[in-house]
This record gives sequence, C-alpha cells and structure tokens, in this order.
Amino acid sequence: MITTEVTFDELAALMKKAAGVTVDPQELRQAAQSPFDSFGLDSLGLLGIVGELENRYGRSLPPDSERCKTPQEFLDLVNTTLTAGA
Amino acid sequence: MSTQRPRRAAVTGIGVIAPNGLRTDAYWKSVSEGVPVLDRITREGCGHLPLRVAGEVRAFDATALIEDRFLVQTDRFSHFAMAAAALALDDAGLGSGDPAEPFSVGVVTAAGSGGGEFGQRELQKLWGQGSKFVGPYQSIAWFYAASTGQISIRGGFKGPCGVVASDEAGGLDSLAHAARAVRRGTGTMIVGAAEAPLAPYSMVCQLGYPELSTVDDPDRAYRPFTADACGFVPAEGGALLVVEDEDRARERGVPVRATVAGHAATFTGASRWEESREGLARAIRGALDEAGCAPEEVDVVFADALGVPEADRAEALAIADALGAHGTRVPVTAPKTGIGRAHCAAPVLDTVAAVLAMEHGQVPPTPNVSDICHDLDLVMSRARPAELRTALVLSRGLMGSNAALLVRRGGESAR
Repeated sequence: MITTEVTFDELAALMKKAAGVTVDPQELRQAAQSPFDSFGLDSLGLLGIVGELENRYGRSLPPDSERCKTPQEFLDLVNTTLTAGA
Repeated sequence: MSTQRPRRAAVTGIGVIAPNGLRTDAYWKSVSEGVPVLDRITREGCGHLPLRVAGEVRAFDATALIEDRFLVQTDRFSHFAMAAAALALDDAGLGSGDPAEPFSVGVVTAAGSGGGEFGQRELQKLWGQGSKFVGPYQSIAWFYAASTGQISIRGGFKGPCGVVASDEAGGLDSLAHAARAVRRGTGTMIVGAAEAPLAPYSMVCQLGYPELSTVDDPDRAYRPFTADACGFVPAEGGALLVVEDEDRARERGVPVRATVAGHAATFTGASRWEESREGLARAIRGALDEAGCAPEEVDVVFADALGVPEADRAEALAIADALGAHGTRVPVTAPKTGIGRAHCAAPVLDTVAAVLAMEHGQVPPTPNVSDICHDLDLVMSRARPAELRTALVLSRGLMGSNAALLVRRGGESAR
C-alpha cells in the first residue's frame, strides 16, 4: 500500500545517488517543467532513477516513465502509477 | 590548394597519472632518478590472489578531480584517463572551458583491461540481488570505449573520435592514429591510454597469462633482460597527450615538445615470442621508413622489456636485425621496470618518457635491473646524459601485436 507520493526532495536525492547530479529540491520544484537535461541528467541517469524507485516500492513503472522529459511529467506518471491500484 | 609540405603531428601537451607520479614533472623526476615504486598490492579484495606485486596508483583522489556526474558512470580506468586528459590540455594551453572549434578536436584512446572494477560491482548486484539492481551505467562503464567517450563529452570535443583495441601495443597505435588524423586535417587530438587492472576480477583475468610474474619480492618480480627474468608485473594509470598540427601549434605560440615521425605495427600471434623477433623488427623498419630515418639516427630505444627470457631474447635480436650494428651501440632503456606494465598505457608512458628524455638530454635508467644477458647497451643504475634527437619506442602485446613508434625532438626539422 503506497501512502506517500514521491516528492521533489526524493527525486533530487535520487538524481544525486543515481546520476551524480546535484540539484536543490526547491529549484527542482520551481523548474519542474524544465527538461531533465537542463539539470545535467541524461537518459541513462533517468533509467537508473526508475530502477531505484522500482526496487524501493517493489512495483514496475510503465515504459514511458524513462522517456519523461521533465521532473513534473515524471513525478505525475510515477505517482499516478504508485497510487493507482495500490 | 597550395603545395605546402606535409602536415606534421606535434606533441604540445602531456598529462600523466602513474604509480610514480600524479603529474608529469613528478613522473619524470622518479623515472630519471630510477626510483622503483613496485610494491605489494594493497587494493581491497586482492590479498588472497597469487599476483602479489604491481605498480599501484596511490593517493589518487578522483572526487577532487572529476565531477560527480562523471564519477557515478565511470570506472577507475576512465577516472585516470579523464584526469590525465585534463592535465594534458592544461599543459597545451587548451584547458580553459569550451573549445573554440569543437569539431576540430578529436579523442582516441587505447584500452585493454576495460572497467573491471565497475563491472564486478554491477555483476555482484546481478547475482546477489537480481537484474533490477544492476545500474544502467554498466552498459557503458566497463567498455573499452568509455574513456574516449567521457573525455569527449566532458570537454565538448566533437571531432573524430575512436578507440584502438589492438592489445598492449595499441597504446602506440593510438598515437599513430592521432597523428594520421592531424595529417588529414583535424586540428587537435587528445590521445593515449589509461588502465586500472588492479581489482579482484581484473586480476583474476590476468592470472592465466603465463608471462605474469607472481614473485612476491618487489625488487625481484620484474627484471627483464636478466638471467633471473620471471615475467612482468602489471600497473595501473596512464598518460594522455595533446597532438596537433605543428604549424597550428606554432601559430598558437605553444612549444612543440616532439613530433610523431613514424609508426608501424605487425602481428605474430599470442605468446609466440620467438616469432615476435621478426614482427618487431619489421615494425621498427616500417617506423623508420615512414619517418625517412636511418637506423644510425636513432638515439635511444625504449624497450618493450617483457621480462620473459624468450621474449627478451627476441626483442634484443629484433633491435639488432632492424638497426644493424647500431643496435648494439644505441642506448636502450626500460623505465617501466620501476612502475610495472600498465597494459595499453605502458607504451604511452614510455612515449612520454621518451619526449621528456629528449627535452632533458638524459636517458633514464632501468630500475631493479643489472647483469643483463643480452647484447644490448641497457642503461641501468643511473640516467645517462646524451644529446637525443630521435627516440624509438617499442611495444608488444600478450595477444601478439607488435608496434614501433618514432618520435623526434620538438623544433627539429629533420626530413
């Protein structure tokens, strides 16, 4: 049962852990519509974040999650998936 | 177009990360003084393996030199390569920010060992936790091409890039490849090799080589050309060079440290050391021919010095075959006996030593070696002062590649 959504704080921490990208959670929230590559996150880095979340929550995320272009788009898809049918 | 003389490939920058120095000046000080740094292997997880002695790069702090986003996706061999490339670019006066002409700068590296430590970590996750725990950067980090890719991405270089996978001698082949790219019109090439073969998985991969020395005394483990030769010891680290069009370098006002004058490569089969005599001799002749260089013009030879009696004999005979009587008179050296053989990076480190030897007018010595049993003038206990204009660097790989590279002192207009 998923009771909390993945937050910008958690995404920022994952970007650091999985891809070595340092970003302030506040800035990530404010620039949530900016493309991931503007933060220095490449497609393999996002794939690593998807894998971390899948392991953490024991759930598969849809193939589209690793194709998301922005933090907002990614969190919307991830949280919709994690909360739906949980 | 005009009928100018052929473009020449000039060495204008050098970056070294080696067991005996984390900068070029430190490397040369140790090499010229003949200080051996071979020691018992201390890297984690290696203590139970029968390979005891190697040249470790200690006190290298990748986190201080390379950004996190590159660190997480790369192995130690690429950390060495990126750090050495940055030193070389600084040395060439190209270290600041984005290149003015990114499409005129290319990268070529050689690699033999790949990213074994990174790969082992991810494979342990695969078998320990499952496939979903393997990180995506496993797809690129272990791969021979990783260092070329990461150097080009980090520097914003968009010129012709490549990777030479031709065994240990590939280190020399990469320099030749870069020189050819420059002659064909690419402005600048960043070229060389770095290896990190001292981790458990990587070391186990090497244990099958009959040429590997498992002697546990650092002073006796690697003594080529002697009656006690018992194989080679590996090393980690490497060197990257900036090679550019000589005219362009002079226009930029940077010193031309050396020119890449000639190269040739042959193949005679894995561990067929007796046959490497002819292969190496032909490579030497090919390099001399390309450079338009007579055997007598060679002022110093940096030997491959494998440390296997049959291979040492083949090399001594190859030098005599190719250089004639001059082969027994020319000073020969093998500074790698002090640091070990860093696979593809070994001949690149030798090329750096050759350039520095010409600049300093000194043939560096061959540490830990005395009483040789071959007809060579091997420089042993201390550096020998000499006027050096042309240096020949030799390399052979365990899989059968042979290569020779001829470099000339900067500012010389031979040919």
